[in-house]
Amino acid sequence: MHWLNWLIVVGWLSYVVITGLRRSTGTKQIEGYFLANRSLPWWAVGLSVMATQLSAVTMIGTTGQGATDGMRFVQFYFGLPLAMVILGVTLVPFLHGAKVYTAYEYLERRFDAKTRSLTAFLFLISRGLSCGTIIAAPAVVFSAIFGWPVTLSVAVIGIPAVLYTMVGGVQAVTWVDVKQMVLIVAALLAVAITLLVQIPVSPADALHIAGAGGRLNVFDFSFTLKNQYTFWSGIIGGTFLMLSYFGTDQSQVQRYLAAKSVDQARTSLLISAYWKIPLQALVLLVGVLVFVFYQFERPPLLFNPAHERAVRAAEGGLYSQLEAKYTGDLATREQAARAYVAAHDRGDDQAAAAASNRLHLAEDSANVVRAQALDMAHRVTGQKSADVNYVIPRFVLAHLPIGLVGIFVAAVIAAAMNAISGELNSLSTTTVFDFYRRWIRADGPDEHFVIVSRVSTAIWGFFACVVATYSANLGSLIEVVNTYGSFFYGSILGVFVLAMMKWVRGTPAFIALIAGMLAVAAVNRLAPSVAFLWYNVVGAVTVFVVGIVLSLPGAGRNTVRTGV
Amino acid sequence: MTDNSASSKRFRVTLVRVMSVQVVTLLLLWWMQSWFSRS
Repeated sequence: MHWLNWLIVVGWLSYVVITGLRRSTGTKQIEGYFLANRSLPWWAVGLSVMATQLSAVTMIGTTGQGATDGMRFVQFYFGLPLAMVILGVTLVPFLHGAKVYTAYEYLERRFDAKTRSLTAFLFLISRGLSCGTIIAAPAVVFSAIFGWPVTLSVAVIGIPAVLYTMVGGVQAVTWVDVKQMVLIVAALLAVAITLLVQIPVSPADALHIAGAGGRLNVFDFSFTLKNQYTFWSGIIGGTFLMLSYFGTDQSQVQRYLAAKSVDQARTSLLISAYWKIPLQALVLLVGVLVFVFYQFERPPLLFNPAHERAVRAAEGGLYSQLEAKYTGDLATREQAARAYVAAHDRGDDQAAAAASNRLHLAEDSANVVRAQALDMAHRVTGQKSADVNYVIPRFVLAHLPIGLVGIFVAAVIAAAMNAISGELNSLSTTTVFDFYRRWIRADGPDEHFVIVSRVSTAIWGFFACVVATYSANLGSLIEVVNTYGSFFYGSILGVFVLAMMKWVRGTPAFIALIAGMLAVAAVNRLAPSVAFLWYNVVGAVTVFVVGIVLSLPGAGRNTVRTGV
Repeated sequence: MTDNSASSKRFRVTLVRVMSVQVVTLLLLWWMQSWFSRS
């Protein structure tokens, strides 16, 4: 990479870490360290929540998703605004008014210690795994760019994030997030503008080509449990997932608990919903434009440069044959794309339809060759192909001007760091409040608990780095992150819903939580083709029903604690 | 009571704005799919 790009990367990362470390003032007491003394303005909290959502996984995984699969992934987020509204009028006022440090602390007040501990434990496991996956995304970029081992890449990204999170707490996390948003948006704009300049047709024609290639199909109204991204899985399953994630996941709850007031907490949630769908659509569109770009510029047969090197070394002859076939298909595809644009521009629908048909045939033929190449890579390396994650990095390195490459790389790393920092901070909070303070040492000076939290941040950081090392080749990372979450989120949401029903008791809630997870596991094992978004519905509904049923016999004699 | 009313009003105004942005976005996406996916 050119030295100017390096300068930008190192300069930005240094600025970010220093910003985070400077925020350590006022964090020696737990209220300051964990909740920023409840002083954060709504816009900072809102931007911070958005920044966590626009992570490296978004920049690499979602753009790659757009290039290979099109726009339909945006349906995943259709439930978000609904979820924010529901949370704003239900759980947010509840939890903010409870003056708790964690969402699970509230569960003990409402139910009992075992329900609190189990729910908190599930959060720790799912978020710890997800944190590792989020580190893996930029680690993949580094490995592709510099040929570094994944372990080194993981350490380079993880250690700075752990440092400023350990020292600065939620204040550092939030204010660094705000600055990162500027860089991330700038990087995405840089990629989009470069694409529009380099694609040899007009933006409108580019979108027509994308449409002809099926990449602009946003809405899928088919009702099938097996199709991963449909309107219904997004609206129903997605709403459940978002309710659980933003309502009960400590990494999100902690941010709005830190808001100055209930009103600011609710507003911050709504602000983060404001731009989520438009932003995700734009990110996917960047990926779609990369697809269009590669209609006119030959893409690599394998986007993962490490796999490409390995395959050339092991089966060079066969790979060259595939490349030759691929080149032929791409040439046919390019001719068809140009013919389609020309026919469309002169209004010749018949010729446009014929060209579109040739485009599809060439695309299908090229995809067959790609599938053979990916199989070859899998055979040679023994690793599951994660090619989709390399589409954007490969494009950026080969086609972005000097300077903009550095901005993009810095943005990817920074985006990962701000996601990691938020996760680590919440993992540490839950570890300290829901386990250490609850079960090991309840009393002590604030300074002691801040130290314990710093240690637990380091431990979780190490755990996440270990997970990252093994997650690097698990397929589309955005899907991996959300699949992990969907195993538990629905069930956890169900528990919080039960918590709002005053006559539900502690032990039924606990049993219901276990039943919810067993139900999800059963669906995963017995019906593996069911899309993961529906797991959230399965978990939440099971917990709700089982909790209600088990509470019925005792409802008349309830001794429920309801004090909040 | 006055503070609560002001807070509720602020929340409702923000809510309307947020949902408006979502509706407009969905309409734009629908238009994009319809217009550019025609053969």
